[in-house]
Amino acid sequence: MKTLKNFTILLALSLLVLSAVVAQEKMTKDEWQSEMATYTKKVADLDAQAKKLAADMDGLKAQSDKLDADLRSCEDALYAMLGVTRGDVEAFNKELADMENRVTELQRMSDAELLNHRDEIERMNTRLGEMSKSKIALIPRYGARVTALQEKVDGLMKSLNREKTYTVGTWSRDRDCLWNIAKKKDIYANAWMWPKIWQGNRDKIKDPDVIKPKMVLKIPEGKELSKAEKSAANSYYRRKAGSQ
Amino acid sequence: MKLPVKAFLWASCLAGGFLLAACSSSPSDEEMAKLNELKSQASQLEGKVAGLQRDKAGMEKQIADKNAKLQECQSDQDAVKKALGK
Repeated sequence: MKTLKNFTILLALSLLVLSAVVAQEKMTKDEWQSEMATYTKKVADLDAQAKKLAADMDGLKAQSDKLDADLRSCEDALYAMLGVTRGDVEAFNKELADMENRVTELQRMSDAELLNHRDEIERMNTRLGEMSKSKIALIPRYGARVTALQEKVDGLMKSLNREKTYTVGTWSRDRDCLWNIAKKKDIYANAWMWPKIWQGNRDKIKDPDVIKPKMVLKIPEGKELSKAEKSAANSYYRRKAGSQ
Repeated sequence: MKLPVKAFLWASCLAGGFLLAACSSSPSDEEMAKLNELKSQASQLEGKVAGLQRDKAGMEKQIADKNAKLQECQSDQDAVKKALGK
C-alpha cells in the first residue's frame, strides 16, 4: 500500500515537471511577436544599409572612372611634352624592369661567376648610359630608377675589375705550377695561358719553373696572351730547348 | 479520497493547465515559418552588406592609389617642364 502511495506521488511529480518543461520549450505568442518585430526591424535596417552601400559604390565607381581619365590625359600631356609615345614609355619601362631583375640575379653571384657574365654586364652598362640620356629618363620616376640601376651595375663592374688572386699550394698536395694553375677552371681553364700569370707577377716570379707555397699570385684579366706575354713565353721555350 | 490519489489528481490538473496555457499561447506553424523566413532574409542581407562593405573598402583603396598616381604624374609634369626649360 505504502509502495503504491509513493509511486503515485512520484508519478504526479514527474507529470508536473514534464508539463512545465514542455510549456517552457514552446515559444509563446508574445515571444514570437517580439522576435518578429526585432527581425523585421533588422531586415529593414540591413536593406537600407545595403541600398546606401550600393549607392556609395556607384559614386566611387564614377570617381574611379574620372580619375582614370584624368590620369590618362595627364600622362598624354607629359609624353607629348617629351615628344614620345605611350608605347615608347611602356617599352622603356619594360626594358628597365627586365634589367632590374637581371641585375638582382647577377648581384647574387660570386665574383668568379660574374666573370662569365662580363660581356652582358658591359652591354648593360653601355645601354644604361644610353637610357640615362633618353628623354624618358627626364621623368623623375624613370630617371631615379635608371640612376639606382646604374649604381648597382657600377658595383658589378667594380666586382669584375677587382684583382683576382691565387695562393699557391704545395706541389705534393696541390700539384701547383703555373701550367696547372692556369689550367684550373676558375682561373683560365687553359694551361697555355700560364705566361699571363708569370708576366703579371714578374716581381715575385723570376723563374716560371719556381713558385713557392703560400705565394699570392695576381691573376690578370684576359682570354688571350698579349704580344709581350707570347714573346716572354717563346723566349722561355727557346731557353728550355737550348738547355736540353 | 486517499492522499496519493488526491495528489495525482492535483498534479494532473496542474500539468494539464500548464500544457493548455503553453499550447493555446504558442504561435502556429505558419507564423513560425514567417519568423524563420525573416531570419533567413536577415542572414542573407548581412552577407550582402558585408560583401558590399568589402567592395567599398577595395574601391576606396583603388581610388587612393589612383589619386597618388595622378599627383605623381602632375609632379612629373612639373619636373619635366623645369628640365626642358619650359
